[in-house]
Amino acid sequence: MSWLDEAWAAVWRRRSGRAALIALAAIALIALAGPLLLPDPAAQPDIIGGASLPPDAEHPFGTDQLSRDVLSRVVSGARVSLAVAGLAVLVSLTIGASVGLTAGYLGGAMDAVLMRLVDAGLAIPRLFILLLLLAVWERIPLPALILILGTTGWFGTSRLVRGEVIRLRHEPFVSGAEALGAGRRRVMFRHLLPNTAGPLLVAATLGVGEVILLEAGLSFLGLGIQPPTPSWGAMILDAKPVLIAAPWTSLFPGLAILTTVLAVNLLGDALSDAFDSRVP
Amino acid sequence: MIARRVAPVCAVVCALAIGHASAQARPPGTVVIVTGQYPGSPVPTAMEGPQSTTANQELSDQLFLRLANLGPDRRTADERSFQPALARKWERLDSLTLAIELDPRARWQDGRPVVANDVVFTFARARNPKIAPKLANLLRHLAEVTADGDRRVIFRFSRAYPEQFYDIVFHTSPLPSHRLGAPTDEIPRDFIANPVGNGPYRITRAVPGQFIELTANPDFLFGAPTVSRVLFRFATDAEARMNLLLSDEADAMETILGLANIRRVATASHLRAITLPSSTMGYLLFNQRDRADPSRPHPILGDPVVRRAIRLSLDRQAIVRATFDRFADVPYGPVSQLLWIRAGSPKAERQNLAEARRLFASRGWTDSDSDGVLDRDGVPLALALSYPLTSEVRRQASLLVQEQLRRAGVRIELARLEGAVWNERRSRGDFDIDFSSALQDPTPSGLTQGWSCGGGTNVAKYCNPAVDSLFERAISDPAGGAPAWQAALRQIEADAPAVFMYAPLNIYPVSRRLRDVRLRPESAWLQLWSWHAG
Amino acid sequence: MAPALVLARGVSSWLVRRAAQAGATLAVVLVLLFVLMRIAPGDPLTRITDRPLSPTEIAVLRARYSLDQPLSRQFASYLGGALRGDFGTSIEYGRPVAALIAERLPATLLLGGAVLLVNFTLGVWLGALQATRRDTLLDRSLTALSLTGHAMPSFWLGLVLAWLVGVRWRLLPAAGMENPLLDPSAGMPARAADVMAHLALPALTLCVVSLATTMRYQRRAMIEVLRFPYIATARAKGVPERQVRRHHAWRNALFPVLTLFGLWLPILVTGTVFVESVFAWPGLGSLAAEAVGARDYPLLMGTAALSATLVVVGGILTDLAYAVLDPRVRVAA
Repeated sequence: MSWLDEAWAAVWRRRSGRAALIALAAIALIALAGPLLLPDPAAQPDIIGGASLPPDAEHPFGTDQLSRDVLSRVVSGARVSLAVAGLAVLVSLTIGASVGLTAGYLGGAMDAVLMRLVDAGLAIPRLFILLLLLAVWERIPLPALILILGTTGWFGTSRLVRGEVIRLRHEPFVSGAEALGAGRRRVMFRHLLPNTAGPLLVAATLGVGEVILLEAGLSFLGLGIQPPTPSWGAMILDAKPVLIAAPWTSLFPGLAILTTVLAVNLLGDALSDAFDSRVP
Repeated sequence: MIARRVAPVCAVVCALAIGHASAQARPPGTVVIVTGQYPGSPVPTAMEGPQSTTANQELSDQLFLRLANLGPDRRTADERSFQPALARKWERLDSLTLAIELDPRARWQDGRPVVANDVVFTFARARNPKIAPKLANLLRHLAEVTADGDRRVIFRFSRAYPEQFYDIVFHTSPLPSHRLGAPTDEIPRDFIANPVGNGPYRITRAVPGQFIELTANPDFLFGAPTVSRVLFRFATDAEARMNLLLSDEADAMETILGLANIRRVATASHLRAITLPSSTMGYLLFNQRDRADPSRPHPILGDPVVRRAIRLSLDRQAIVRATFDRFADVPYGPVSQLLWIRAGSPKAERQNLAEARRLFASRGWTDSDSDGVLDRDGVPLALALSYPLTSEVRRQASLLVQEQLRRAGVRIELARLEGAVWNERRSRGDFDIDFSSALQDPTPSGLTQGWSCGGGTNVAKYCNPAVDSLFERAISDPAGGAPAWQAALRQIEADAPAVFMYAPLNIYPVSRRLRDVRLRPESAWLQLWSWHAG
Repeated sequence: MAPALVLARGVSSWLVRRAAQAGATLAVVLVLLFVLMRIAPGDPLTRITDRPLSPTEIAVLRARYSLDQPLSRQFASYLGGALRGDFGTSIEYGRPVAALIAERLPATLLLGGAVLLVNFTLGVWLGALQATRRDTLLDRSLTALSLTGHAMPSFWLGLVLAWLVGVRWRLLPAAGMENPLLDPSAGMPARAADVMAHLALPALTLCVVSLATTMRYQRRAMIEVLRFPYIATARAKGVPERQVRRHHAWRNALFPVLTLFGLWLPILVTGTVFVESVFAWPGLGSLAAEAVGARDYPLLMGTAALSATLVVVGGILTDLAYAVLDPRVRVAA
C-alpha cells in the first residue's frame, strides 16, 4: 500500500523517527547477538560468596541472589520479552482495529453483537483462560502464550477505535467518499483507519510495556516463561524480596523495559506525524 | 502557575505526615503484631478444612486454654513432662484410661466456671467425623469421654500407646458448653466472631482483613496479663509486613524468610531476632510410580540406587547456606527442627560426585554420546522438578538443584506451578520429583502419614513394611521409642524415597521495647500475656 | 439544547434495549465462568493448606460445600440463591460472599475513586496541555516522565515509595488502611485524616503508573482534533482561541478518554491487586485474586459477577457520553 511507503519516508525524514528506528535496531541487534558474546546467563558460579554483588568490573550490572550475572540475563531476556511483547501487541492491535472499525462504522446489530462479545471478553479474567490451558499443557509453549496474550488483549483497543469511528463517521471526508461510491471496506480501511491510527499508535506504545509486565505477572503464577529462561518482567518480579537490599537486580531490567517503551513511543510519534500530514 | 496548584497539595501532605507521626506513639502495655493470614475462625472444633490454618490456631490459643501444654523439651510421649493449664493434675488409671482434674479457679470470660461437662461436650464434637473430620481422625483411638463430678474427666482409649495424653491435650481446647447448643449443632456465627473463651484475651474489635484487637482478661487463670492490649495486623505480602515492622508501626512479626530480610532486621537498631525451631521441613520427593501408568514403577526413580546417586550428586549444605545462611541445617530423615527424635541422629550425607557417577554407571547410566547428560539405551536421564510458585525458598533452591544436577549429568526441567495446580498434580501422583514442604506436629507419629505404606499423604507411594513395623514399635513403646525411631530414620535414609533438603529455624523479629519475650515453637504467641511492653 | 432533545427522544427505548442485552451478556458470562472454573485444574479443597487433608476429610468437606453434586444442580442452586440475594458462602473464609464483598467495597471505591479522579482531571489537563504546546520542552519532558511512570511495575514503585516515605523518612504509613492504635471514639476528622494518610501512597503509585495512559490518549486526540478543517474555519471566522478549544476541540478530544473511563470501571475490582497487596490495602482486587488462587468458587463467581456488571455498565455509560458530547451521534447500538 502506498501509504506505508509514505509513512516510512515520513518517519525517516524526521530526526526523532530516525533515532527511534536506530534505537530499536540496536535493541534487536543486542537481543540477537548479545547472548553469543556474554557468559551463560544460567551459570551460578558461586552461590554463597558471589550472590547479590553490586556492579563492578567483572559484573557491570552486578549479580542476583543466585550469583548469576545480571547483564547476561538482561541481554538474553531481551529476545523473549521483545518477541512476546511485539507479537502479542501486533495480534491484539490487528484484531482490535478490525473489530472496532466494523462495529463503529456498520453500527446496528453488527455493532451490538460485536460489542457484547467485547463485554464478555472484558468480563472473563484473562487469568482463567490461561489457567485452563494448564489443563492441556504442562507448560504453556511460547507461541501459545503469545497467541493467548494477543487474543485476550484487544478488547480495550476495539472500544477505543470504535469510539473514534463513531466520532468520525459524520465527517465530510467519510460522506464524501461514500458519495463517490466507495464500498464499505474501502471506506473503513482506506479512509477511517488512517484517522484512527492515533489511538492505535498510542495503544501500541503503551501495549508493549504492559505486555512485558503482564508476562512477568504470569510467570509469577507459573503461566508464563519458565525458569531458567530469563525475561525482563520475571527478573523484576524475582527481585522483589531484595528490592531495597540489591536494587540493581530490578533496576537494570526495568531500564531495559523503559528504553524499549521510549523507543517504541518515539517511533509511534513519528508515525503519527506522518499520518497527520495527510489531509483528512 | 504550577506552583500555585502544587502548594495546597504539599500542605495537605505535610499535615497528614505530622498526624501520622504523632499517631504512632504506642501506649505502654500495648503490643502490635503483624502476620500474613487473617484468622476468621479461631474456635476449637471449627478449624477444619480451609480453616485449619496456623493463624486460626494461634489466635485460638489466646482465647482458649488447653488442658495442658507441652514441656520445654516437647516430649510428646511422656505425660509427666507436660505443664498444667486448665487441667491442674492428671493420673493414669490403667493402660487404657486417664483421669484429668480441672483447676477449680478456671473461669470462662462470662464468669462461669470451667466444668467437666465442657470437656465432654468439646470431645463429643471433636470425635464426630461429620463435624470435625481432621480431629476425629487424630482422636480415633479415643473410645469414651465421661464426666466424673464437676471437675474430673475420665478418658478411655481403645488401644494402649504412650501419646494418649498428648492426643487429649494438644489437638483441641475445651469450649463453653453452656453457651453453645447441642454438640451436633453448627457453632453460631456470632460466637465465631466474638468467642467467649477462658484464655488471657478476648476479642474486642475486629476489622476483617485488617486487624483484630484483643483486650486482657483480668480474671485469667495465671494472673492478669501484663500486656493489656494486643493488636494483630494483617498483610499478605511479605514485603508489606517487613515495611510495617521497619517503620515501627508493629512490634513483632511472624517468622521472616529470606536472607535479605534477615539482614534488614539485623541492621535495624530498634529490632532484634529470636530464633526458634521451625516445624517446616523441605524435601525433594521422588515418585516411585510411573507418571503415565501408576501400576508400574517409575522408569528412572523406581531404582533406589539411582535415587541414592542423585542424592550424592547434591551439595545440600551449600544450598542451605545459600538460602538460609546459618539458620537451617540438612536433616537426617524427614525430621524438622521441632521433632524431639532428631537428637542423636547422624549427620546428613555430603556430596560425593565420584561415588554418584559410580552408582549411576553400575545401573547402566553413562554419558555415551558426550552431550553432558547421562543416558541408558538411548534414553536420557531427564526429570521434571515441580514446585509451587508460592514458595520463594523452593524457587531459589530448585534453581540451585537444577544447576548442581546438571553438573552431575542429570537434566532437570523445572516446572513452576501455580499453587492449586501443583497440589492437584501432586495428589494425583503426576510428577517426577516434587519439591515438597511438610509442616510437622510435635509428635513424631505424624511421620506415618507420609512415610508408611498406607499413609494418607504418601503421594509418591513409597512402601517399606520394615519401616512400617519400626513405626509401630516406636509409637507403642512406653519408653518413648527413641531407638525404634532412629532405626526407622536410618532405613528411610537407606531407601532414599526423598532427598531431605532443609530443616530451618524460625526467625521472629521483635522490637527492643518489648522485654521478657518468650516464644514457643509449637505456637508462637502462647506466652504473649507475660511479656512487658514499655 | 440540541443534545438534550436528541437524548430525550431515543434514550428510553435505547436504555431498555441495552439493559436487556446487558442481562443476556451477564447470564452468558456467568455460565461460562461457572463451567471454566470447574474445568480449570485445581480444587478448593486439595489446594495448599498448612496441613494436607486426608482423603476422608476431603470427602466430608466436599459434601459440606455441595461440591459432590452434579454441575447443573450446583449452578441451578447458585443461580436461585443469587436471585434471592444470597451469593453463597466462601469456602476459604466460611462467610457469606455478599458480606465479604460489601466489607471491601469502601476501600476499593476510595482507592479507585481517587485514582480515577486524578486521571480525569490532572491527566486530561496535562494531555491537553501537551497537545497545545506540542514538541516543546514541556511536551517532551512530560512524555518522558509519564512513560517512565508507565513502564514501572506497580509493585516495584509501591515498594520503593513504601520504603522511602514510610520506612526511611517515616512521613506516611507504610501499609494498611487505618491505624489500629487510633482510638475508635476519635472524631470523624481524625479518622478521615488517618485514612487519607494511608491512602496517599497507594493512590500515588497507581496514579503515576496510569497517568501516562490518560495523558497519551488525550494528547493524541487533541492534536488530531486541532488539525481538523472546522477548527481552521472557526479560527478564520475570528472565534477566540479559548472558545475554539472549549467548544470544538474538547468535545471531540474527550472521546478516547471517556472510552478509557468505561474500560477502567471494572479495573477497580480486578486490576489493583499488586498495589493492594504491597500496601496491605483491603480492596476487592486482592480478594478476587485470592479467590482465583484458592479456587474459592462462590467468592470467584461473586467478584467476577461484580466486575462483569461494571464492564457492561461502563460500556453503556460510554455510549451515552458519546451522544451527549457530539449531537450528530445518535446513541450507538
